[in-house]
Amino acid sequence: MNFFVKFWGTRGSIPTPGSLTQVFGGNTPCIELRVDDALFVCDGGSGLRELGLDLLRRGKSPVVAHMFFSHAHWDHIQGFPFFVPAFLKDSSLIIYGTSPGDTKFHKLLSGQMESDYFPVAFGDLGARVAPDDLGQAGKRIAGVEVRAIAQLHHGPSYGYSFEKDGRKVVYATDNELDLELENAAEVAADPDLLRHAPRRYVEFCQGARLLIADGQYTDAEYANKRTWGHPRATTCVDLAIQAGVEQLAITHHDPLQSDDKVREKIEACRARAQRLGGKVQVFGAREGMELKID
Amino acid sequence: MGKGMAKKSRTGEGPAKGLEEDITDPTHEDEFTEDLPTCESNVGVLFRERERRPAFLEMLEGPGAPCVYMLERVEMVVGRGAEADIQVDSTEVSRRHMRIGRAGTSHQIQDLESRNGVLLNGVRIHSASLHEGDTLQLGNAVFVYHEGQR
Ligand SMILES: [Zn+2]
Ligand SMILES: [Zn+2]
Repeated sequence: MNFFVKFWGTRGSIPTPGSLTQVFGGNTPCIELRVDDALFVCDGGSGLRELGLDLLRRGKSPVVAHMFFSHAHWDHIQGFPFFVPAFLKDSSLIIYGTSPGDTKFHKLLSGQMESDYFPVAFGDLGARVAPDDLGQAGKRIAGVEVRAIAQLHHGPSYGYSFEKDGRKVVYATDNELDLELENAAEVAADPDLLRHAPRRYVEFCQGARLLIADGQYTDAEYANKRTWGHPRATTCVDLAIQAGVEQLAITHHDPLQSDDKVREKIEACRARAQRLGGKVQVFGAREGMELKID
Repeated sequence: MGKGMAKKSRTGEGPAKGLEEDITDPTHEDEFTEDLPTCESNVGVLFRERERRPAFLEMLEGPGAPCVYMLERVEMVVGRGAEADIQVDSTEVSRRHMRIGRAGTSHQIQDLESRNGVLLNGVRIHSASLHEGDTLQLGNAVFVYHEGQR
């Protein structure tokens, strides 16, 4: 079995091109997962445009993509109208909802292509763009077990897990973990204490080879951004440790963070993991980086 | 990077010209505008055609270190095998271990299913784009990537 994960967009909130963000990248969220021949796409930020072009370069047509969206804030859907395979007749894009009969992401994607916003109507796309859903408790798609979890965001948002033959990858972005800590009072008094993430998140991420998590803010930034919908990156470390995750990719970098600033944020996460005795390997998700999940 | 960037360097035609002179010299206007749409970079960065120095890998640890390998070809293979462009004589390095290819102004690397993998800044990757100062570890060989200058 071949299982690859590639980061096409790792920036939160708004595309942030420029010389200060070249390393981690300026495109908004998009993650590609390839499990053997099946293609799964998480989020359609501006990174999705790049993925679309790359799919054409690979020359494997028609494109069949199983697409999952954390939520429909702009930074997670703005790449969709520029996803070239959507314009190709043979392509097939399946847009998943998270519960039986849920077609909301399919509807929201078409909404952003109404004529006031975009010149090509959703119905005029060449590809077959069809809604489907993950049912009550997840769905097996091309041999991969896919599940969703509701998260705390302005909305809410959804995290997804992809698992095959014991190899599991979780994508969990736009989730303000810090507002749901089970020992909130204790950790407010002592920031070095392990922050207890809600049990359902720990279970959802349990044993993942890779957890790709929203770590938008440094501890210092978070002080002024509480309730903005994103956590401290360091809190993701605690979740990863509690869930026995092997690798933690911090993503959804704040638009104000330069490459140096992101590096500092990751260093703080590594220091925390070490202090807490966790074995998790932490790194900053960066555009163009591709991992093989063994 | 588009073809505009790849066209021959003007350094062979005489001494390198100063920036001021280039901007105000109307005879260079065509070249200047021709390059604009090919600029891959974004805000506030305007590439000038200048003497071009290829990117290179600086080997810090491993057999033969310290040494420098210029990335002069569009695509090169690092490995233990005799056919590798950058040969590393170590049993921890696979015969064909990693491909490194030019991509625009940067380079892309890909692990060629090596036994010990490619670590980018300590993280095992399958492929990635490189940036100035990135560290690569292939078995017991450690390299630092340095971007070229143009
Ligand atoms: Zn977001
Ligand atoms: Zn959001």
